[in-house]
Amino acid sequence: MIELIKQEPGYLLADLQIDEANLAVADQFKTELIGLLDNYQRKIVLSLHQVNYIDSSFLGALVAGLKHAIAQKHDIILVGLKKDIRDLLTLIRLDKVFKIYDNYTEATSAL
Amino acid sequence: MLQTHVIKKILLVDDNVLFLKMLSRAFEKAGFACTTCESAAAAIDYLRKETTDAILSDYQMPEMDGLEFRRYVLSQPALQNIPFIFLTNFSDQDVMTKGLDLQAVDYVLKDTPVNVIVSKLNNLIETFSKQRELSELEIKKAVSALNIKSVPQSAPQIKGYEINFWHQSFQDIPGGDFIDFITVTDRFSFIVLGDVMGKKWMAWFLSFSFLSYVRAAVRFGVLSEEYSPASILQKVNQIICYDEALKDILSSLSLLMIDHEANKVVYAGAGDLPVVHYNAKAKTVSTLNSSGLLLGLFPTATYDEIEVELEDGDQLFIFTDGMIDYSAGEETKTDYKKFVDRLQHIATPENSFIKLKDYILSQQAAAQVDDCSIIHLYKAPEKL
Repeated sequence: MIELIKQEPGYLLADLQIDEANLAVADQFKTELIGLLDNYQRKIVLSLHQVNYIDSSFLGALVAGLKHAIAQKHDIILVGLKKDIRDLLTLIRLDKVFKIYDNYTEATSAL
Repeated sequence: MLQTHVIKKILLVDDNVLFLKMLSRAFEKAGFACTTCESAAAAIDYLRKETTDAILSDYQMPEMDGLEFRRYVLSQPALQNIPFIFLTNFSDQDVMTKGLDLQAVDYVLKDTPVNVIVSKLNNLIETFSKQRELSELEIKKAVSALNIKSVPQSAPQIKGYEINFWHQSFQDIPGGDFIDFITVTDRFSFIVLGDVMGKKWMAWFLSFSFLSYVRAAVRFGVLSEEYSPASILQKVNQIICYDEALKDILSSLSLLMIDHEANKVVYAGAGDLPVVHYNAKAKTVSTLNSSGLLLGLFPTATYDEIEVELEDGDQLFIFTDGMIDYSAGEETKTDYKKFVDRLQHIATPENSFIKLKDYILSQQAAAQVDDCSIIHLYKAPEKL
């Protein structure tokens, strides 16, 4: 579900390979995300460019992952959000909680 | 709940391309949507992105065989309950015994006539969904016997206002949305709309914890003459963040306080969708944008509040995210702006709740993908 694209000393680049991010995949996503944080102990730049829809169950899993990362003094940075999804995150103020960039290059140069 | 005809999706996995083609043609003819994969690896890749109603897999395949594929499916919580059928040869008897340990629901011999395979799979999907319905029915009966509800039966009468709401749970199973109306004194009333992130029973169960904290915070506030919605949200958020039982559980909340004496409504939001305000005089809609974060996110989060003086005919629309989600063909979409545009067309200086309800019901047939709740507050003109 989460494909590891690149490992760098300070961060991981990862790609979420899901079209509809909903309740059916939320638990598995959370387990994989927390697994990556625990195994690699570094920030994760996660691309959502394949995701066309995201529901509140999945957002809950994403935020749970972020809280886990913050507790480890790391972070989850989101990139490649489609307009609908970015708009939703802004509407419910999750844009204040996640760092959001257009792409990996922008995100990594800001790290 | 309105029933819709949904095309059943099945996944066929076999390294024999000809057999795959023959099977998929027969299934498509019978009204199924078929996806074919020539290896277990390709099937796993497909299942990472898509869902299916049933899996029909060959046993003997190079590299990952059917049994290993079945083990993978069972190891994935999101996939383990999908009906799974093995396609076998007579010589695979031994395999069939092994497969029993892997909860394979059925076996079909490869030389079975195709129409028999189709009807066998059809029956299996039906039996599965009936079993699911039955167990849900049992829980529904138990819940109804307990007489606990996260949504009231009807809206209260509040002086000077007309309040209505509409709520539909996802697939007719109670979910994470919760609604409450609390009249604390002659002067102050509260409107509560929340949405615990998640769906169905788990979210429904947790919604009571959130609702209890909100009710308690409102009542404790009254005891110390503290009626500020922002301050109530701040307290509720802190308690939730420190409650171990609610670890990693988040909820949005819209909290409105109606002050009858000062003729104003004060709104505070936590990760909720902006409330829509219809101005009857200008016949325009605008949004009330709060800056508060979801409840349960950070204990130090602060909340702000917005004061609105409602004139006669003015209206507020408070709703959860299910209202802005809809299905478009096979895709699910979220569009807040589209829904607000709709409200602009629906709202009139008279009470527009009936028009709103008609619109919602006309959209429901194929569209609902989550719990949907909307509360409508109408400032009624004073009767002469």
